[in-house]
Amino acid sequence: MKRVASLFLPMLPIEWLRRLDRTGRSEPPPPDRPLVTTERQGQRVVLAAVCPLARSLGLHPGMPLTQARALVPGLDIRPAEPESDRALLMRLALFAARRWTPFVAIDQPDGLWLDISGCAHLFGGERRLCERILRTCRRAGFSARIAVAGATGAAHALARFAAEEIALCPNGEEAAAIAPLPPQALRIDEETANACRRFGIDTIGELAAMPRGPLARRFGNNVLARLDQALGRSAETFDPIIPREAPRAALRFLEPILSAEAIEQVIGDLAAMLACTLEQQGLGARRVMLACDRVDGDEQTIVIGLASATRDSGHLASLLRMKIEQIEPGFGIEAIRLIATRSEPLAARQVASLEPDCEAELPPLVDRIATRIGMHRVFQMSSIESDVPERSVRHSAPLARAAGWSREWPRPVRLLARPERVGKVIAELPDQPPLRFSWRGETHRIRKADGPERIYGEWWKTLREADSVRDYFQVEDESGARFWLFRRGDGLDPRTGDLSWYIHGVFG
Amino acid sequence: MSPKQSSYVELNAISHFSFLRGVSSCEELFSAAAQLGHKALGITDHNTVTGLVRAMVASDTTGVRLVAGCRLDLMDGNALLVWPEDRAAWSRLTRLLTIGKKRAIPKKGEKGQCFLHWEDVAQWRDGLVAALVPDKADGATQTALAQMRDIFGDRAHLALSLRRRPGDTVRLYELDRLAQRFGLRSLATGDVLYDSPDKRMLQDVVTAIRHICTIDELGFRRERYADRHLKSVAEMERRFAEHPDAIRATADIAERCTFSLRELSYQYPDEIVMSGHTPQHALEKMTRAALTARFPDGMPGEYSNLLEKELRLVAGWRFAPYFLTVNSIVAFARSQGILCQGRGSAANSMICYVLGITSIDPIKHKLLFERFLSDDRDEPPDIDVDFEHERREEVIQWIYETYGHDHAALTAVVSRYRTRGAIRDVGKALGLPEDVTGALSGQVWGWSNEGVADRHVEELGLDLSDPRIALTIELSRQLIGTPRHLSQHPGGFVLTRDRLDALVPIAPAAMEDRWVIEWEKDDLEELRIMKVDVLGLGMLGCMRRAFDLLAEHKGIRHGLEDLQKDDPAVFAMIQKADTLGTFQIESRAQMSMLPRLKPKEFYDLVIQVAIVRPGPIQGDMVHPYLRRREGKEKAEYPNPDLREVLEKTLGVPLFQEQAMKVAIVGAGFTPSEADSLRRSMATFKSTGGVSKFRDKMIEGMLKNGYERDFAERTFKQIEGFGSYGFPESHAASFAKIAYASSWMKHYHPDIFCAALLNAQPMGFYAPAQIVRDAREHGVEVRPVCINASRWDCTIEEQSGEYRAVRLGLRMVKGLANVHAAQILAVRDRPFRSVEDVWNRSGVSVSALERIAEADGFASLGLDRRQALWRVKALGRSTLPLFAAADAREEEREPAVRLKPMSDGREVIEDYRSLHLSLRAHPIGFIRPQLDAMNVVRCGNLQSTKDGRRIEVAGIVLIRQRPGKGNVTFLTIEDETGIANIIVWQRLFEIHRRPVMSASLLKIRGTVQHEGEVIHVIAKQLQDMTPMLHGIGEMPFPNRHGPADGANKGPDPREWAVAKTVSEGSARLPTARSEPVLKLKSRDFH
Repeated sequence: MKRVASLFLPMLPIEWLRRLDRTGRSEPPPPDRPLVTTERQGQRVVLAAVCPLARSLGLHPGMPLTQARALVPGLDIRPAEPESDRALLMRLALFAARRWTPFVAIDQPDGLWLDISGCAHLFGGERRLCERILRTCRRAGFSARIAVAGATGAAHALARFAAEEIALCPNGEEAAAIAPLPPQALRIDEETANACRRFGIDTIGELAAMPRGPLARRFGNNVLARLDQALGRSAETFDPIIPREAPRAALRFLEPILSAEAIEQVIGDLAAMLACTLEQQGLGARRVMLACDRVDGDEQTIVIGLASATRDSGHLASLLRMKIEQIEPGFGIEAIRLIATRSEPLAARQVASLEPDCEAELPPLVDRIATRIGMHRVFQMSSIESDVPERSVRHSAPLARAAGWSREWPRPVRLLARPERVGKVIAELPDQPPLRFSWRGETHRIRKADGPERIYGEWWKTLREADSVRDYFQVEDESGARFWLFRRGDGLDPRTGDLSWYIHGVFG
Repeated sequence: MSPKQSSYVELNAISHFSFLRGVSSCEELFSAAAQLGHKALGITDHNTVTGLVRAMVASDTTGVRLVAGCRLDLMDGNALLVWPEDRAAWSRLTRLLTIGKKRAIPKKGEKGQCFLHWEDVAQWRDGLVAALVPDKADGATQTALAQMRDIFGDRAHLALSLRRRPGDTVRLYELDRLAQRFGLRSLATGDVLYDSPDKRMLQDVVTAIRHICTIDELGFRRERYADRHLKSVAEMERRFAEHPDAIRATADIAERCTFSLRELSYQYPDEIVMSGHTPQHALEKMTRAALTARFPDGMPGEYSNLLEKELRLVAGWRFAPYFLTVNSIVAFARSQGILCQGRGSAANSMICYVLGITSIDPIKHKLLFERFLSDDRDEPPDIDVDFEHERREEVIQWIYETYGHDHAALTAVVSRYRTRGAIRDVGKALGLPEDVTGALSGQVWGWSNEGVADRHVEELGLDLSDPRIALTIELSRQLIGTPRHLSQHPGGFVLTRDRLDALVPIAPAAMEDRWVIEWEKDDLEELRIMKVDVLGLGMLGCMRRAFDLLAEHKGIRHGLEDLQKDDPAVFAMIQKADTLGTFQIESRAQMSMLPRLKPKEFYDLVIQVAIVRPGPIQGDMVHPYLRRREGKEKAEYPNPDLREVLEKTLGVPLFQEQAMKVAIVGAGFTPSEADSLRRSMATFKSTGGVSKFRDKMIEGMLKNGYERDFAERTFKQIEGFGSYGFPESHAASFAKIAYASSWMKHYHPDIFCAALLNAQPMGFYAPAQIVRDAREHGVEVRPVCINASRWDCTIEEQSGEYRAVRLGLRMVKGLANVHAAQILAVRDRPFRSVEDVWNRSGVSVSALERIAEADGFASLGLDRRQALWRVKALGRSTLPLFAAADAREEEREPAVRLKPMSDGREVIEDYRSLHLSLRAHPIGFIRPQLDAMNVVRCGNLQSTKDGRRIEVAGIVLIRQRPGKGNVTFLTIEDETGIANIIVWQRLFEIHRRPVMSASLLKIRGTVQHEGEVIHVIAKQLQDMTPMLHGIGEMPFPNRHGPADGANKGPDPREWAVAKTVSEGSARLPTARSEPVLKLKSRDFH
């Protein structure tokens, strides 16, 4: 006998926003302020979800934001995050699949299906199970309602429209249970539900009593299909979630191992096993963790990152071996696991090629260097569209595609990390290049110069830069050395700078 | 040539008319130029000359000569600056720009663009001095230089500008060499983007707005060449010290290009009315004949005297062709039966009256003649002609056909940033989240130019110390008033004898077949170019419909001009403020003033129209006027001169003409000064424009012996109505229509109702109120019917005082005219069934659905639900072959019994589909509950004592916040009538939410009688909207009647379910789809 539970989480987006432990959210919305989320609908921004407090103030989903704002001052407005909500739902589903029944499916956007046929007795019956589920949800901070019926549609309708939080409908009694509910409980679109109402069909009972032919003619077959699903006349299937774990390989030892050689050997074996698993799943690892369980219960881990996805067991093993000395075996290690903590799809690659493949050579090299000197120390330079020299470069990932530089306006090869004050500058105001300057105890007489190149502060970054100006000069001294100097201020308006001189770079 | 004379001239500056590039107004540029010691300034906006008239005015005030020019951005990426040497060259430039602009296709989003190539430039090169704007001394520049040399010869230049970028000096040196090689002269320019360095931030922001990105994303799309402000002559000469000839070249060009826009002589189009006559002669002949025809039994002397006086003035200024043009347009409209009426300064004239351009008899109505024409002012006369809104297009097309596209085009309107738009765009550019900018701009009511107040920012809980928010507020204030784009004037036509594009560039408008010149109204006035306003007026359409219906159904033939006699019965109605639906005097403010002003004759209406406007109300003119009219206060006239000016309005200056006259007579203004005073009153954009005349005016009046107190009061009044002031002729024209519509409403409320409904949307009131008002006046209104209704509302025979009004299919929400026409075309015999309508007309199912929802099949014995049920079955197969089969199947279908609708639901559905109900008023359903709360019926307010505290409740019809918004008017309605609520600012702030959004309001307040108009001064407000939600389930409260099962209310068990559901509705995702009474109020800000 089939029993389906429909779990309904009506306030999911709001309650998710209010959760303290959300990643990247330092402070949750204050509970005493009405909270809404918004989404874009064409040109308008409308409310997506509304907290109970906001609802009591007359706001409802679908209301234009401008109207809501006029109604309730001090509204806490956050953008809706359907992706994040979906991910949460997925986590809940995985949790449920591990805990209560293996057949769990996501019921977008705010519910779960749980097929509890034959497993409710493990928890002391359906009611006990439902209470348990609701309790778990509540503890996690989510209000929830649940209904169990033999027919999917009935469970769905009762979870959302029944008066009580837990609705248990014996098989065969679905028709009676849902008869007083409004037609929109049937998972039909709003337009059809409105049409029903316009014909005075206010309940599912009335709808079910109508002759089927004329109904289908006017509303299409979907209504009948939904009605049948609710009354248990037709079955409905759903895709159950299957919990997926990170690809891993593990070895347990009869005797605890202690020597680096032994660990090295195990790493080789594990890498081969992991590579095999990864290949079966069509994945490549981007980050791999090696976890060693010591006999004293301590866990030792090493983590390596990879510049591009790989499942080359030799490469993985060699990188891991470089870090072997970090492992402190203590009284011995009894088990080692190798887990691909981050992986991404990697298709099979053609290997046969006569030309040496430079591109293929690079990632392993990057990985080797990065593993040796630290991942954050390997990077490449990329340009940013900014005229302020120190802001015009940034670090990017070693293998990312970097933006190049324009050659039109040459910049010094070496930019000082911080501009350094230069002294004894003689220059004519407002815009003549300096005739000499001294830097690091050495005085330079300038023979040739170009400039000024006028660079304004980026006022939108900080207001302190609103008026500031730097006049840059490329200068060449008697020895032929070239420097990049600048003066703070445009030489006319004192607001633009104090006329002090700095060196910012050296040309090759 | 002395060195002084050959000093540097900045020839390359752009104004903010280079949309979203320039950020300085012409005024700012020229005053900066004057301060920096410039003798002349060249304005070269990108592909446009829009700003040049403003620049000319600024040049006049500052004494810095304008060198008119333009920057042409060619399709191959080159840019060149051109300056016309003379008038002929100017015409070539405007024709060149016109060619480029006409290539833009507005439909493809190219509106406002200009596509030009070297060949075009070559064709129109004569008399243009040009300079190439180069990048580097490279191959591309060489090619362009060769083009320049070939096209412009010795008038070709190469523009050198410092960029403040690496290698600048070398770049200029190489460019200069290159120029020499090609035989071109180098020209120093500043490439000016703004008048002062402080504008740089704003310039960055408009660049971001132009690229539709945030300032952070803008990157190198920012203007990267530095130092783009206007610099002093000495500084420029210092910078270009190594290129002395490039400096000299600027002075040479300035000397060479002496063209001034003032030279643009303008010719009126030829009106060939009578061959062999000069226009003046023709005008004289026509007007004299028309006057004689008006008075067949002998002409009163004063009429002919006035006419002759006017004709002499017209002859002096040679304005005869203008009158002839307006006359031809009006004559055309008349010939097509299009109702029209003139207004504007010339509309007060006898010429216009006898030619039928206006219907206001200037002798009879004693109109002020002053603003028409006088010998002192050579301003072109101004006539605006209002046409029926819906048929104005015919007139416009006739103008194009008659005068040709080369000679007729619409005036432009420069759309400028106002607070809201500025906040929105600047906020977006600074990357503020949309809800913050939305909230900020939401604090601004209507079209403000004042920016967002800091107070509002704090109220929103936003942090003013956040730099981005502070910058947004600050920069948006700077952006206010900056032009954003050109759009078309609603109906201002410029007509010329010569080619119009030889005067000003013409561009295609967004609407197909419309052409727009680049200058706006003020610019044309400045250049003394004639403009005829061809405007649309909804009420004229309504009146034409009414006159037609009157002739058709009652055999009475009338026109606007036939209603010259003041009818006491009509005025009696007006005094009672029974003016719903009439023109102008129907608004809340107007209605509340009518019982106090008690208009008795036409001129009272003229004053009424003019006085109840934000300006006079703010200028504190209403109360003195009322007191004097009621005899409580004596009008004071310090001397006979002013008495003559102000006597008609009891000493209160009400019209622009009077303000001018006061300035001339009282303060000794010259007529042209008085005219600029008027101009500053007429342009609502110029903030504080009137105030600059303050000292001159008050001092002038003191000098002429007036007391300071009187002078200040008078000025305050003039200042107050400044931007909102009416010229008398406008007021008179409006009053005429107001009277005509009142006459119609008084004598033929049936026809007035039908005509008004057919002219919707228009006016202050929704169809529901118009129908209700008609029914209260004893007119029967019949429902929409598939077998009786036409598209328009019609008049049906009916015994009794008035005919009946049949609602037309146009009232049915969502029904397209073509579909209705399709049905009506096949209604040669009555329809028998829904299927019959469908089969015969072939109209779409959704159209029939609309009619069924509006209960239009009732005459076939089908109620709303039954009809809809039948309609819904249609159209599953649309092939005609299956139609018959369908019909048969319909008969075979099992019978379905549908619950009849509750009475409340019927009313709700009426409102949903027709926006009105003939059955009952929604409030009637909740009356028992309201009675329990001791709520007074609106209809009973009449008998409620003044000053009593009561509670009323009703549906909010209208919300109005006039002027500065210290008061909000609400009009609410219940089943017995309407009530007028006044909400003062303090209360509004507390109850902002219900005032702005509630459909049903309960108001506790004090009754205040003002003659026959009753206000309730609100003390407390309560949003009762949820009460409306239950109406759908209700029977009529007073008709419980015998329960026959079908008619009884909802099953109590269902009710219980509905209740639990709605109590738990916080948990329900679909609660919003509940069909509730949707009432949309009309909000006027």
